[in-house]
Amino acid sequence: MHIDLTVLEKLEKLSHLRIAESKREEVIRQLSEIVSYVENLSELDTTHLDASFSTLEGGTPMREDIPVSDTTAAPSILSHAPMSMDGFFVVPAIIE
Amino acid sequence: MFEIVIGLEVHVQLNTKTKIFCSCPTSFAHEQNTNTCPTCLALPGALPVLNIEAVRKAMSFGYAVNATVNQRSIFNRKSYFYPDSPKAYQISQFDVPIVEHGELFLDLEDDTTKRVGITRAHLEADAGKSIHEGAISKVDLNRADTPLLEIVSDPDMRSADEAVLYLKKLHSIVRYLDISDANMQEGSFRCDVNVSIRPKGQQEFGTRVEIKNINSFKFVKAAIQYEVQRQIEAYEDGYYEQEVYQETRLWDVAKGVTKSMRGKEDSADYRYFPDPDLRPVLVTDEMMEEAKKIPELPDAKVARYVDKLGIKHYDAVVICAQKEMAYYFEAMLESNIAPKTAVTWLTSELLGRLNKAGHDITESPVDAKTLGTLVSKIEDNTISGKGAKDVLDYMMESDSRDIDAIIDELGLAQVSDDSAILAIIDDVIARNQDKVAEYKSGKDKLFGFFVGQTMKASKGSANPAKVNELLKERLG
Repeated sequence: MHIDLTVLEKLEKLSHLRIAESKREEVIRQLSEIVSYVENLSELDTTHLDASFSTLEGGTPMREDIPVSDTTAAPSILSHAPMSMDGFFVVPAIIE
Repeated sequence: MFEIVIGLEVHVQLNTKTKIFCSCPTSFAHEQNTNTCPTCLALPGALPVLNIEAVRKAMSFGYAVNATVNQRSIFNRKSYFYPDSPKAYQISQFDVPIVEHGELFLDLEDDTTKRVGITRAHLEADAGKSIHEGAISKVDLNRADTPLLEIVSDPDMRSADEAVLYLKKLHSIVRYLDISDANMQEGSFRCDVNVSIRPKGQQEFGTRVEIKNINSFKFVKAAIQYEVQRQIEAYEDGYYEQEVYQETRLWDVAKGVTKSMRGKEDSADYRYFPDPDLRPVLVTDEMMEEAKKIPELPDAKVARYVDKLGIKHYDAVVICAQKEMAYYFEAMLESNIAPKTAVTWLTSELLGRLNKAGHDITESPVDAKTLGTLVSKIEDNTISGKGAKDVLDYMMESDSRDIDAIIDELGLAQVSDDSAILAIIDDVIARNQDKVAEYKSGKDKLFGFFVGQTMKASKGSANPAKVNELLKERLG
């Protein structure tokens, strides 16, 4: 996959990150290296495998539907949030 | 000219006690963010563990719509940023859903049915809620990771009315299965509509536009009608390519229009991939057998009511559309009354009064056993149909459910005793000798006059069938 400025701009949008003008060339070079490294995986023939294939044995564990209330987690997490108010997490206005 | 093509995606909130990937309660919390834990708040290192009950409910839905239930399905990550989704991805099923290739049947007005395919139904986690206040948005994650079943139809609907019929049928099935409260206003049954048009005869589908989160059947119809009109106008004016493109629109309730949610360039890119935190969902044979045990569903009920109880198809469809109504009807029949009579008393008499009072069948002040008993009093000639209506009116306004006592109080007991009725008849005959003579000389129509006079003299308490019989005897 070829990474150019257009792809970088799309990635910035998807990741909500902004790459400084001075670093764009460098980031493009690094991303290209990473992608070509990962492309090694394409050598593996996966045509006979279905989408649910896993290298792990067995299925995901399941639990019974029994509620457990832990009221201590939220206050502690909220206190670490950048901004919170009346038990809500507060974020800059979301504009649709 | 144009054919309308509609497909629907419905998000059903499953009524499990806990969230899909953690043991946090799904019950109503008085305070925001109290039904949360490290897993649903997406703290690093916290791992999801699947709720088996959510899987069971999804499977029972699968069997209810004649679908394939996959013994092996997988969870994927759907990536997007939004503050009410703390993971920055939604855990959903993409490549292999738990349910696919199902169907349901719409009851059309002409008593025929139309098959609609169900492409798939997959499990996924709900997002939290955000409240927008000026420069900030407040986020409550109590709902985050509540289990959802997303049910996707084939693009088989051809009108707004069919779309509404599909939703109503789906709603009914989900309620019968008791897998969701399915309350549209409260958001436990949410609907996205995909709409496109194509000139009649064209094979390829037109460009489909998605309308998101419409919260009533009425709005679904209005949104589709608006959107279809918009697309047709664009086509006829020659601007179809420019105006109609694959996008997500929102229904604006106040203005009655659909509005673009995001620009053409910003189409979503979810980068689905298998969630490495969750191995495949493997369902045991025992779970498959267990999930097949589902209650009698509306289609089967309608067929049974028509075949075994001799009820009209239309009436059966009306009664079976709502689980509570069908169960009410069946409870009435326990009083050993004729099914057809029960239909009338349920659908005309009771529902008529409930509608007037603004009540739903679930809020009926008169329960099924009481109404069944009341109807049985007509069938055993204790009271007339008219009298029973008076009793029902009385009960709508009072707490008394002692039907015999009410009949006494209102003086509605019907006289079926031959001698009592004959005494009245003889009196009527004595007072109307001229009419008797006319009747005997061939004026048959006067029979109705005698019936009327007798009923009137008995103040409506005489059993009409008896009156007819005895009058015939007396008048010869």
